[in-house]
Amino acid sequence: MLRNSKTTARILSVALFILMEVAALMMLSRSGPLQNIWLSGASYAVRGRIWGASASIGSYFSLSSQNRALAQENFELHRELTRYRNAMNAALQDSLAAGEGLSRDFEYIPAAIRKLSRNSQHNYIILNKGSEDGIRPQSGIITPKGVVGIVDAVDRHYSYGISFMNTGMSVSARIGASGAVGPMTWDGHSTDRAVLKEISLQNRFAPGDTVYSSGYSSIFPADIPLGIAGGSRIVNGAVNEIEVFLFQDFAALRYVTVVQTLDREEILFLEELETEGKDKTENR
Amino acid sequence: MNSPGRIFTYLILLTVQVLLCNYLHLSQYVMVSILPAMVLFSDVRLSGVKVLCLAFVLSFAVDFLSDGVLGLNVLALIPVAFVRDGVIRLVFGEDHFARGEGISLVRQGIWKISAAIIMVQSLFLLIYIWADGAGTRPFWFCALRFAASLAAGGVLSLPVARVLTAEKTPDRW
Repeated sequence: MLRNSKTTARILSVALFILMEVAALMMLSRSGPLQNIWLSGASYAVRGRIWGASASIGSYFSLSSQNRALAQENFELHRELTRYRNAMNAALQDSLAAGEGLSRDFEYIPAAIRKLSRNSQHNYIILNKGSEDGIRPQSGIITPKGVVGIVDAVDRHYSYGISFMNTGMSVSARIGASGAVGPMTWDGHSTDRAVLKEISLQNRFAPGDTVYSSGYSSIFPADIPLGIAGGSRIVNGAVNEIEVFLFQDFAALRYVTVVQTLDREEILFLEELETEGKDKTENR
Repeated sequence: MNSPGRIFTYLILLTVQVLLCNYLHLSQYVMVSILPAMVLFSDVRLSGVKVLCLAFVLSFAVDFLSDGVLGLNVLALIPVAFVRDGVIRLVFGEDHFARGEGISLVRQGIWKISAAIIMVQSLFLLIYIWADGAGTRPFWFCALRFAASLAAGGVLSLPVARVLTAEKTPDRW
């Protein structure tokens, strides 16, 4: 009897100890910014490992379908490569310069998704590759079917990215025969739709036109097919807003490619020069 | 010491600790705390749950009333309360609880009391300095801070031990 009551008291003490320590950590996290960052980092590391383990189990049970998708993708890539080779040979025979801008300026790193949130307005993505794999912040995340997001922060083995399904993110996109360019953003609720904005009224396009990445940024290469144009509406009597049916359904996303421009430093240097030039002109 | 007297003593010591936190800024390397001694020399007849509650109340009050980060003293002092019985058993002997005797500076001697103080102070400071630095401070800074704070806290804990372990003087005939 006495032994039982001692055991109960011991269990109660341990439970109270854990409860109080958790309360202390919560207080610490809320009141100290430094401690908040520190505890968040530790929490992300633990969650990353848990998600990694669960994703590995999930991947193992869906290997056959993954293999089919990879084989299909491989086939498409081979076909594309052959087409480019043919075009290159034809161009060389005509003594014309060819092959410029075929994504030679970008580096591609394959990665798997460890975590992808889809149920908030500010969704994020965690990849299984980090700084040790050569990934840098401000790199693009793509698939053969479109743009997935942008790498925001990089750990040694994991990367944290802002998903395209985020109300704060936009991608410069091009549409139709006229090649009109505008920002494309997520529509805010579905996993396979977006909105292409600020397309002038004089630009011609039609439902069914393919939307591509414009390449007007140092993050994503040009001409990645993003989706197909749907209906449109005129906003404020000045510009068109076009519904886009994305090729990439975010609900069925597992593998991605991280893309980073090799000339990023040069581009940033030029941008800084431009900013400094503007500042000097304004000071005068 | 009777119960109201003990509560009054704890309130006085708590005020001293708050004043130390708010006004005694010797150096960034020195953090003086008498909280571990206050928990260690609480009544030995108190159960583990009661000692945990006492530690939580004391540390939360200090965090709340001083200009530090809320939760830091709580995080460091709760483990001290959790291991208090173990430290007493280790330093003062297993049969101490069986007899239900209070700890006394006169009977146990200054060396045993000091050893117990160093143990709980070390545990408290390790957690406190680790959480306060939040992984941003270099190791040598933390080590130096630990050593300086242990020395200062250890010395200041001795008078606290003397106050909290004072035995009732027998009535004269």
